[in-house]
Amino acid sequence: MEFKTKRAAVKQEIPTTSMPDIVFMLLMFFMVVTTLREVDLLVQFKLPEAKAIEKIENKRLVSYIWVGKDGRIQINDSIVKLSEVQSIMYDKRQSLPNVIVSLRIDKGSDMGIVTDIQQELRKAYCLRINYSATIKI
Amino acid sequence: MALLKKKNVRNVEIPTASQADLAFLLLLFFLVSTIIDVDTGIGLTLPEYVEDIQTVEVPKDRMAAILVNENGDVLVDGTPTSVFQVKDNLKQRIVSKIDLPSNKKLIVSVKTDRKTNYNIYIQVLDQIKQSYFEVRDDYSTANYGSKFKDLSTENQDIVKDKIPIIISLAEPESVKK
Repeated sequence: MEFKTKRAAVKQEIPTTSMPDIVFMLLMFFMVVTTLREVDLLVQFKLPEAKAIEKIENKRLVSYIWVGKDGRIQINDSIVKLSEVQSIMYDKRQSLPNVIVSLRIDKGSDMGIVTDIQQELRKAYCLRINYSATIKI
Repeated sequence: MALLKKKNVRNVEIPTASQADLAFLLLLFFLVSTIIDVDTGIGLTLPEYVEDIQTVEVPKDRMAAILVNENGDVLVDGTPTSVFQVKDNLKQRIVSKIDLPSNKKLIVSVKTDRKTNYNIYIQVLDQIKQSYFEVRDDYSTANYGSKFKDLSTENQDIVKDKIPIIISLAEPESVKK
């Protein structure tokens, strides 16, 4: 005689009715904590690493200048010449008086271009700057 | 005889099986189109631009002159040091000037060459910032019993007043242009 194990007829499905709710919660989380991508990057760069770094609390005050591996300068959505930096940044400062300029410069760059940009920023009265760097562990 | 019309029961529910898929699509869209990274970096305030620069003599013991050349060698007050020693070197000097009035505090001057690598410059700047932060932390723990960032704003201002971060960026030699 063959023995048959008696099993209770239990439904073996994971209930999925609440899955949309969970996903929506995740979605809400992402919508709240993130900001939309604003610019397309046209230059390639790798940020330097540092330990004593600070967070910029107010993201709305930040304006970026990118400098790529090849030494090209990008502000907003376009590549600009060094001589144009001053007027662009001056306009930015007009609309946003206490702007923080975040310099995202490739770590292989020379100090020459960094100093040139700094001089232009000084002329444009954008005096608060931030050398963007990633945290070193 | 009453005619009993047989009503067929209709299913009037909105199908929700695909709702999860829709929500996932939305979620993916947000994941792709947003950035989470927080802006971190070393903050500085540049001096105002003036046409004719007036040179102010600063007494030697107030200055810590750091020079980085194009090979990445670091000179602190004329003696060659490695990048990682800059912090300890400066720390003592900052500590020794805590109780002096504000016009006698240490000024750290960083001078680079036009050909100096940016990464090394950031490393040096990082060392300087670290030394200041550590001194501030030490001072806070000694006087208020907690780290600088945990202090109240008033106490932070007092510590900031005692240990101000003064970094002067010297322009590179224009000869190398």
